[in-house]
Amino acid sequence: MIFILSLILFALLVILGVKTFFIFYLSLFLIMIYLFMISIGFSAITHAVIICILVTAITLFGLNGVNVKTKSSFKAIMIILVIIFLLTFFIGKNANIQGFSAESLESIGGYSFDLNYNLTNVFIGMYLLTVIGTIIDTSISISSALNEVHLNNKHLDKHELYKSGMNVGKDIMATTINTLYFAVVAEFIGFFMWHYGASFSFLLNYKAFAQEIIKLLLCFIASILVIPITSYITSRALLKDDTKE
Amino acid sequence: MKNKKFFIKLLILLIISIFSILFVYNDYFLYKRPILKIDRIKEELENNESSDEKNITQYIYGTIMNTKDKGRKIKVINHTTTSGVYDEQVHKNSELFVELKKGDTAIGISEIKRDKYIVILLVIFVDAIVLAAGNKGVKTLVSLLVNILISGLAIFLFQQHAKTWNMLFLYFGVAIFFITLSLFITNGRKKKTLAAILSSTASLFISFLLAFLIIKLYKKPIPYWTLDYIEAVHDYENFFYVTILLSGLGAIMDISITISSSLNELIEKNPKIKLKTLINSGKEISKDVIGTMTNVMLFTCFTSIIPMTFLMMKNNIVLGEALQRYGQVELIVVLTSCIAIVLAIPISLFISTLVLKPSNKRRGIK
Repeated sequence: MIFILSLILFALLVILGVKTFFIFYLSLFLIMIYLFMISIGFSAITHAVIICILVTAITLFGLNGVNVKTKSSFKAIMIILVIIFLLTFFIGKNANIQGFSAESLESIGGYSFDLNYNLTNVFIGMYLLTVIGTIIDTSISISSALNEVHLNNKHLDKHELYKSGMNVGKDIMATTINTLYFAVVAEFIGFFMWHYGASFSFLLNYKAFAQEIIKLLLCFIASILVIPITSYITSRALLKDDTKE
Repeated sequence: MKNKKFFIKLLILLIISIFSILFVYNDYFLYKRPILKIDRIKEELENNESSDEKNITQYIYGTIMNTKDKGRKIKVINHTTTSGVYDEQVHKNSELFVELKKGDTAIGISEIKRDKYIVILLVIFVDAIVLAAGNKGVKTLVSLLVNILISGLAIFLFQQHAKTWNMLFLYFGVAIFFITLSLFITNGRKKKTLAAILSSTASLFISFLLAFLIIKLYKKPIPYWTLDYIEAVHDYENFFYVTILLSGLGAIMDISITISSSLNELIEKNPKIKLKTLINSGKEISKDVIGTMTNVMLFTCFTSIIPMTFLMMKNNIVLGEALQRYGQVELIVVLTSCIAIVLAIPISLFISTLVLKPSNKRRGIK
């Protein structure tokens, strides 16, 4: 069944463009690899970072070639990865986001909890992977658009280029935030029905709620930061590239 | 002059941000449950007989920060492990909600105080969006707030009427209301808004048909119970539909409005534009957003199975088996809503041209 579904999606994405399809399945595949690697004992955080860099590099350089726009996109994504990593690390270590809540007790009850593996790291790795998936496409869209603008209007200086990058990015940002919100709410609607009537102060400190909200906010922050950083780096790189020639 | 205004705004934003973080670090008085601030922790390690896991016993000494017991010195004992699957390892700078009894030892920890971390992220988010996107950022924030309010209302309705009404019909009612209100607020009363509303509604129905077909064609019974929190409802199948439909709703709305407003732009610039060019440029525009959307769907939904699958694999279940048991439903949800999102492109193209083109014809006659 899942096979048929993926076949349908495959067909649809091929109509749209092979690139989209490729990124989709590559990410799916790499998440599987990630799961496998950490289950045989590799470090969850280091491995998540490696997978993030791999996904970014393959999507950018493998599909769009090594050029000014992909290089600057790569730089921008790496900067965001560092920022989000620090944020996630700080929050993950302090807020006790690891583990499961009472609702999942039924589904985890049958398993042994003696993993001898710090689950906090698995959660930090999960957040990093989620964030990277939301920003790669935005970044490449912005840098390609900027490249187009630059090619058609050679007289624009770096400030004007930066501005037009921001304009392209803002529209994408609004849609990304909307999509993210609904994807998370759909996952979470049962949670709210379960805890219906619980006070706000209870929810705000509750583990399962905090886990989802932190994930959502991290993705939001990354999808905003990607716009100015990509625009800044790309606008400068494009002009620098011209002077070289 | 413009600079000055900007700096004043920046200053206000900065003050609000700092104030809210300071506030949430000292908000003990807001809670009715007693909060413990930790002074010191003494830890005792103990090897587990059956595995490499270490059992830790933490003796936590601290001061109560609120309620009538404010200032009381309390000791609390916490049993934890190195993995922390279903227990909390307390750190020196965490704050705890505790259950008190008479004497100097508390019964136990009920929760860790996490609100400050959420507020820190929230402040960073709001600051970033306002600084990076300005007015557009504020607009996005407002539409996000509207969405949150409407989904709150939807949950209220689900909870009140889920037992008597069909959850799916309720959902459709709420969703159409949702689409109309949200698109009106963000885009105003225009023809393109109407086109977007019609095409999102149509896409929603088509994606429902798709989900329906998939569930009916699925030979084995779908393991609904692996969906998180599904025990909250009694109507598993309809809850499954609602999850699929809701997760794609935001993306469908965005595709509809993106396509209808760009087609509107094209038609306004050149009323005699050919249908074929219109459709082609619509396709090109949607290509830009669709990649981000499918990736967002995949990563948000699919990474959330990592912890559970990890727990299974650590219990000697192979990857394929673990995904079969747990990831199956998530994967169906993601794939179905992704197909729905992709299908929304031709549907929006079709409806937008249908709604926007006639006015153009009339204009041509005049």
